[in-house]
Amino acid sequence: MGIRTTAAFIILVSLIATGCTKPPSEQLEAAEQAVKEAQQSGANLYAPEEYAKLEGSLAAMKKEAAEQDGKFGLFKDYGKAEQLAASTSTDAARVKTEAAQKKEETRTAALQAQQVAQEAVSSTLQLVAKAPVGKDRAAIEAIKNDAEALKSSLAQVQTALDKEDYPAAQAQAKAIDEKSRSVSSEIQNALAKVHRGKSSPSSKK
Amino acid sequence: MTHARINSGWIASSLCALLFAGCIPAVPPDLISQIENIDQDLIALGAPQTAPEEYADFARQWAALKIRAQAADDLIRWPWESSDFEQQLRTLHTEGDKTVARLTDRQAEQRRTAEATLSRLEQRFQSLTSHVSSFGGHLVLGDKPAQTDLLLRQARTYFNDKHYSRSLHTAEQANRALHIQESALTNELKRYADHEQISRWQKIAAHTVEWSRTHRSTAILVSKADRKLTLYKNGRKMLSYPVRLGFNGIRNKQFQGDGATPEGRYRVTGMRGKGETQFYRALVLDYPNAEDRRRFHLAKRTGKIAPTTAIGGDIEIHGAENELMAQTLGCIMLDNPHMSELFSLVETGTPVTIVGATTEHNTIAQLLTGLRDHHEPPSL
Repeated sequence: MGIRTTAAFIILVSLIATGCTKPPSEQLEAAEQAVKEAQQSGANLYAPEEYAKLEGSLAAMKKEAAEQDGKFGLFKDYGKAEQLAASTSTDAARVKTEAAQKKEETRTAALQAQQVAQEAVSSTLQLVAKAPVGKDRAAIEAIKNDAEALKSSLAQVQTALDKEDYPAAQAQAKAIDEKSRSVSSEIQNALAKVHRGKSSPSSKK
Repeated sequence: MTHARINSGWIASSLCALLFAGCIPAVPPDLISQIENIDQDLIALGAPQTAPEEYADFARQWAALKIRAQAADDLIRWPWESSDFEQQLRTLHTEGDKTVARLTDRQAEQRRTAEATLSRLEQRFQSLTSHVSSFGGHLVLGDKPAQTDLLLRQARTYFNDKHYSRSLHTAEQANRALHIQESALTNELKRYADHEQISRWQKIAAHTVEWSRTHRSTAILVSKADRKLTLYKNGRKMLSYPVRLGFNGIRNKQFQGDGATPEGRYRVTGMRGKGETQFYRALVLDYPNAEDRRRFHLAKRTGKIAPTTAIGGDIEIHGAENELMAQTLGCIMLDNPHMSELFSLVETGTPVTIVGATTEHNTIAQLLTGLRDHHEPPSL
C-alpha cells in the first residue's frame, strides 16, 4: 500500500513538473522554415521592411516559447507562442510571394536598363567606327579608350544579373548609358570639327 | 410608489452610465498607434540592417505586447487603477523613440559622410581629367578614367536612391580606381619632374640657343610640357607661339601610329609652301634621326615593341588644316598666322630641338606635385 501510494505520488509530481502542455514544436519549426524560405526568395533584399517584421515576429515567438519552457509544469501556456507561430507563417508566405514579385519587377527593370546600355554602347562604337582614318583620326583617337571601356563594362552588368544582384545591375547599366551618351556626344563634336575641314589622306607619322 | 421606483431606476442607470463614462480603455489606442508609427520609422530607417540587435529587441517586445493588446482590446479600467501593461507599452514607446532618434542621427551622419566622400572624389576626378586634357595626356591613362567615371556615377545613383552604405562602398572602389589612375599618371610623367632628365633637356636646349648665337642664325625650341615653340635668332628669343601636339604627344615617339611627338635634336629638311601641303605651310623635320633609329631598334630587340612595327616619319611643324582640330598624329601644329610668320623666318637646315620641358617648374611637374599633395589613399 505504502509503495503504491509513493509511486502514485511520484507519478503525480512528475506530471505536474513536466506538465501536460507540450511545446508546439511543429508550428515553431514551420514558422522558422517559412521565414527561411521568404529570405531565400530574396525578401531581405526586395521586401526588406516586411522581412524585418518577420524576423521580429520570429524572435518574439522564440522568446515566448523559451519563457514558457522555463515555467513550472501546469503553469506552461504555449497559446501565445502558437498564435505568434501561426501569424509568422502566414506573414512569411505572403512576404515570400511579394518578394518574388518585387524581385521579378527589379529583374525586368535591370534587363531593360541593360538593353538601353547595350544600345547606347553599340551606338557609340558605331560612331567610333565611322570616324576618319587619316590625319583627322587624331581628333577621336583619345576617346576610343572610353568606348572600349564601356564595351567591357557591359560584362559587369551581366555578372551582376547572373548573381541576381539586380539593383547593382541597374545602377551599373544606368552609369554605362549616361557615360555612353556623353562619349557619343564628344565623338560627334570631334567629327563635326574634322568634317568642317577638307578630308585628308592618310599619312605616315 | 411607482414613481419612486422609476426614480430609483433612473438614478441607478445614470450612476452606471456615469461610472462607465469615467472608465478608460485598458489599452490606450493612441499609444498603440504611436508605437506602430515608431515601428514604421525604425523600418524606414533601415533599423533591421543597421541596428539589428536594437531592432530585434524592440520587435520582440512589440510583437508580444501587440498580442496582449489585441486580447485586451475591449477591456476597460478605472483611471486611477494602475496598469502594468500600459507601463510596459510606455517604456517601449520611450525606448523606441530613443532608437529612432539615434538611428536618424546615424543615418544623417552616414548621408553626410557619403555626400562629402562622393563630392570630394568627383571633384578630384574632374580636376585630374581637366589637367590631363590640358596637356593632352588622356591617352596615357587608357580606359582607367572611363572606369573611374562609371564607378562615380554608380555611387551617385546609390546615393540618390538613399543607399548610403552602398554608395560609400562604390565610392571607395572609385577611390581605388582613381588612385591607380594617379599612380599610372605619376609613373608615366615622372620624367617631367626628374631632375636629371630635365638637366639633359636643358643642356640640349642651351646647345640649340648657343648654336643660334654662334652661327648668327635662327633655331627653334619646342617645350612639350608648356606646349610652346620659341624661335631664337642670334641666340636671343625672337618669337614664341602656343602649339598643339600629337594625340599622345606627351610621350616620346617610339613607332608609327603611336600619336607621340618625338623628342631630340632635328633640322628642317624641307619647306612646303602654299599648295604643297594640306596643312597651310609645313616645315619637314628629319625624324627619324640616328638616335631615334638606335632607340627604335633597341626597343624592338628587347620586345618593348612588336617586330612588325615601323618607326614612322613625316613629322612636321605645320599649320592647321582645320582650326578646330586640337591634336595631330605626332606633328607640331601652329595657328596659321603664327605658321605664316615662322615660315618666313626659317630656312632649310634650321635646327629644331624638341624637349619635354625646359624648367623644373613645368606644367606637368606642377600637376604631379598637386597629385602628391592631394593624395587620398584608399582604405584597406
